[in-house]
Amino acid sequence: MPADEFRAKALAWLQEHATPFTAEAADRFAPTLDESKAFQKGLAEAGLAGITWPTEYGGQGLGEDELIAFNEVSADFLMPTGPFVIGLGMPAPTILELGTEEQKKRHIPKMLTGEEIWCQLFSEPNGGSDVASLQTTATRTETGSWLINGQKVWTSGAQFSDFGAILARTDPTVPRHAGITMFIVDMHHPGVTVRPLVVATGDAPFNEVYFDDVEVPADAVIGEVNAGWAAAVVMLRNERVTIGARGRARNNPLGFDTLREIASDVGTSDDPGVRRKLAMVYARETAAAAFGRVLHEGALSGEPIGARGSVGKLAGAEFGLWASDAAEEIVGQDIALLSGKSAKVAKMILAGPGSATAGGSNEIQRNIIAERVLGLPKDPGAADRKTPFNQLKLSK
Amino acid sequence: MTLIDNPDQKDLADAVRKLVSARSPLSKVRAVALSDAPYDADVWRQVCSLGLPGLAIPEQYGGADGTWADLFVGLRELGAGLVQTPLLASSVLAAGALLAGDDEDAKSTWLPKIAEGKAIGALAISEEGDATWGAQPAGVTATDGTLSGTKVAVLGGAEADVLIVHASDGFYLVETDQPGVTVTREEVLDLTRSVATVTLDGASGRLLAGDAGAVLDRVIDLANVALAAEQSGAITTCIKITTEYANIRYSFGLPIGAYQGVKHKLADDYTEWCLVDASVRTAGEALTTGSSEVSVAAAAARVLASPAYTRAAKNMMLLHGGIGFTWEHDAHLFYRNAVAGNVLLGGPLFQQDRLADKLGV
Ligand SMILES: Cc1cc2nc3c(=O)[nH]c(=O)nc-3n(C[C@H](O)[C@H](O)[C@H](O)COP(=O)(O)OP(=O)(O)OC[C@H]3O[C@@H](n4cnc5c(N)ncnc54)[C@H](O)[C@@H]3O)c2cc1C
Repeated sequence: MPADEFRAKALAWLQEHATPFTAEAADRFAPTLDESKAFQKGLAEAGLAGITWPTEYGGQGLGEDELIAFNEVSADFLMPTGPFVIGLGMPAPTILELGTEEQKKRHIPKMLTGEEIWCQLFSEPNGGSDVASLQTTATRTETGSWLINGQKVWTSGAQFSDFGAILARTDPTVPRHAGITMFIVDMHHPGVTVRPLVVATGDAPFNEVYFDDVEVPADAVIGEVNAGWAAAVVMLRNERVTIGARGRARNNPLGFDTLREIASDVGTSDDPGVRRKLAMVYARETAAAAFGRVLHEGALSGEPIGARGSVGKLAGAEFGLWASDAAEEIVGQDIALLSGKSAKVAKMILAGPGSATAGGSNEIQRNIIAERVLGLPKDPGAADRKTPFNQLKLSK
Repeated sequence: MTLIDNPDQKDLADAVRKLVSARSPLSKVRAVALSDAPYDADVWRQVCSLGLPGLAIPEQYGGADGTWADLFVGLRELGAGLVQTPLLASSVLAAGALLAGDDEDAKSTWLPKIAEGKAIGALAISEEGDATWGAQPAGVTATDGTLSGTKVAVLGGAEADVLIVHASDGFYLVETDQPGVTVTREEVLDLTRSVATVTLDGASGRLLAGDAGAVLDRVIDLANVALAAEQSGAITTCIKITTEYANIRYSFGLPIGAYQGVKHKLADDYTEWCLVDASVRTAGEALTTGSSEVSVAAAAARVLASPAYTRAAKNMMLLHGGIGFTWEHDAHLFYRNAVAGNVLLGGPLFQQDRLADKLGV
């Protein structure tokens, strides 16, 4: 189907089923989990989910052109798809790349229809940036299954997830990157305890997750035993692309459309400094979206996104932090209020550092860009890559 | 339309890159910078033989009928090498002004020569003390087809055969080989650009048909994307040279590039370049499709490119340590070009104001 036809079809469906973006609608937008699930189901049934994924796993088997068309069209609607972003953005592409036929058949279609919500269980209290320092263990039982024990933290969406992709240490006697395995874990298993963590904004979007003799079968391994680092790299790469390559989100409270509206409401829009700030908000916001398009069109013509996904992630995080400062000037004193139109801006400013940290801090993205895109030498911190894990110094 | 180079543009980029490394390496750029000549005639011939000056000029005026985006690919590669040519002044500013107007006679006389590179055009807009790039031209007045007054910061003015002069009542075509035209090439910070002051004293000029406001508006758009394209190329070179150095210069037992104080600056420069490059592509696409967003996209490209380049060039000097501050090192050539580029063809505040205006803020 030509991309234009697909675009028209997507637009027609969204017009019927989604809420068009307006500032007021965005203010009131607070979908429940059930509403989100119903929406995702409809999206999948209409042929608008998994656009580029193979049809045998419930995808549409279409090209990047159609994906780009969908992203453009859907930017004008409020999409209650938040709970599925992680599953579809990270574990699903990783399973598609490394999973068994059985895993793909069993999980991907249900992820697309919203029947299965997934989370990503990487970070631990003792290390998030340094993922490979993880201490959660998985030990093999006599029957070939695995017993998982340990604690994960900052796990987004664990409170409503059905499955998680977890990294666990399966061999502590080899260097830290060599003894890790990735598993599919059932979040409804009795040994799994999820405790919400309240964050700086007052919300509780993520959790501590405890694993106490959680048994997973042998076929829960994603990729190979002790080759979990390779799987993690695939998933982290997908994560950065998911986070980084978003289009110009109209409902971003720190975006141009919203800030301009607020500036005119509060009466700062004639101020020359404010006008210039708004101009720069627009330039930076649209450039970041255009860069996402450059990456995707490049991928389409055979130039893989690779570590450049980190550029999108870093640019997005830096935009949020920079726009937070700009917003203070644009919105003026109302920024201190948690009522009225500027409330969402204020919340977004508060959430900025968290969004920058999620998916790998800015420093880590800079390391990745410098080393893997520009070819600079490895960080001295990588020196312990050869030391067996059980002889390393770790944070406590 | 796409935002990545199409196969023809890839070929063009390769060809220009080869030309730059074979005929105009930085050692040559430096030699030209220190000579009296504003550019190297041999390099310009090569650039012309690749068809660059006529790329964005329609076939009916002797051009190659390509797109502005094609020409920006060429400018990007020449910018990466800091190559001195009259391309920006002649094929973008002067030809762009002619193309934006309605003067068929002037078009069919001058565009074929500009397309071939046989004649060089320049655009005279700026005036002393006016930071708005031409909003209120008052310095040059016309009486019965003769012009008097002064224009400053005329890019390529000293080598131009024909000037398009922004006077109080419109754009005039002024040939330079006549009495009453005095062109003085200025000594400038940027050793790779030729900038002149033009004094007209009863010079004869021909009022160009067309809406002067529309012409100026169009030319500013073209200038913004073209300069941003050059600067995008130059940023890549700053990053490349500095990255190479960071891999071979050792300090405290490690290559300096292993230290985050160095690698994070380069990562930031690269990230900023990605945004600049994407915005130049967006603007090129808008010009090619004739989108109504052209002015917005062009101004956005410019407000990102110029400061990003200044930062990358500054980091290039800093990350080379003492060597980066020496006359022998090429870093200062880029730094000079960047600092001057930030105020060329309308400075940063003018550009931000323009973007705000075009966005309807
Ligand atoms: C909103 C949010 C959602 C999240 N969701 C998930 C999730 O769903 N699943 C999941 O597994 N994790 C999740 N995380 C965790 C996230 O990936 C980590 O917080 C992040 O990688 C940073 O790790 P850390 O918190 O342990 O900080 P640390 O690693 O302790 O870092 C602390 C500081 O040190 C800096 N630093 C660390 N190492 C280096 C280095 N080598 N060079 C320079 N600086 C360095 C960091 O940049 C940071 O500034 C989420 C986090 C947030 C904030």
